[in-house]
Amino acid sequence: MAPANEVHDFHPPISHCGLFWTVPVPQGGLSFSSDGNSFTLVMRSVALIDQPGFPKLDALGTPATMSFKLVGKSTGEPVKYEDAPKHFRFTGTRAACQLEAQVEVPSIGFSWKSDPLSTSKCAFAIMGEEVNGRYYDS
Amino acid sequence: MNEVDPTGDSHRVLFGNAGLSPTRRDILKSSAFALLPLATALPNHASPNQQPMTANGGTDPYPIPWLDRFGSHNQAAGIGNEPGHIYHFKGRVVRCNNFTGMGTDNKGNRIAFGAPSTDYGIMQGEYWAARTTQHGAFVHI
Repeated sequence: MAPANEVHDFHPPISHCGLFWTVPVPQGGLSFSSDGNSFTLVMRSVALIDQPGFPKLDALGTPATMSFKLVGKSTGEPVKYEDAPKHFRFTGTRAACQLEAQVEVPSIGFSWKSDPLSTSKCAFAIMGEEVNGRYYDS
Repeated sequence: MNEVDPTGDSHRVLFGNAGLSPTRRDILKSSAFALLPLATALPNHASPNQQPMTANGGTDPYPIPWLDRFGSHNQAAGIGNEPGHIYHFKGRVVRCNNFTGMGTDNKGNRIAFGAPSTDYGIMQGEYWAARTTQHGAFVHI
């Protein structure tokens, strides 16, 4: 739930098919290390909406853009989640992730830039392999 | 539709009033019949604004079918929760949330970012859509 003092909330629109706040990563935007234990995701000028009133159904969404860099590294601690009725299985490890971002909301003349990547923290992260849906039983 | 008869007899042929100028009644009758081909053709010709549809559906990924408490196809990050946002998927995933940090706006104000719901999710691999396998990388922001 968003905190009471939240002034901005940036996310992609929900797609026509219902895919929730999820967008394609452009070619070359995502890279994993050869051992698969670390990754870097860089995206520039992603079209988003600033919707601080979410999840109210009538929450106003203002066009915005965001550029960001997200990095992560496995801690090596194994993790496995499986839910047969929901047909998903995740096998991986815990991870440590950090984020730096820059946002712009042109219509209100607002922009914001985070401090460098190394100053951010993330309380929960996992990385690994998942199968779900029709792939769950195969 | 306007059709021109090179003999100049187009009025007689079209309105069936040989040798005479067409009456207003003739014009109205003819106009009504002229609309028939268009009227019968409409069901078979889609609006020019309507996009053609594929028989097998689009190639966009399917969302997770069940709903969260807000009625959205969203899986919260957390222990035991499904990390992905795409159904019929197999591949690499990353799920992380509860980011915190600081930043500065264009007026020099120091503004913190992050909340328990500040989350990201990465999915890279194979998914099923349009009745066949697709490949791609996606990020939940």
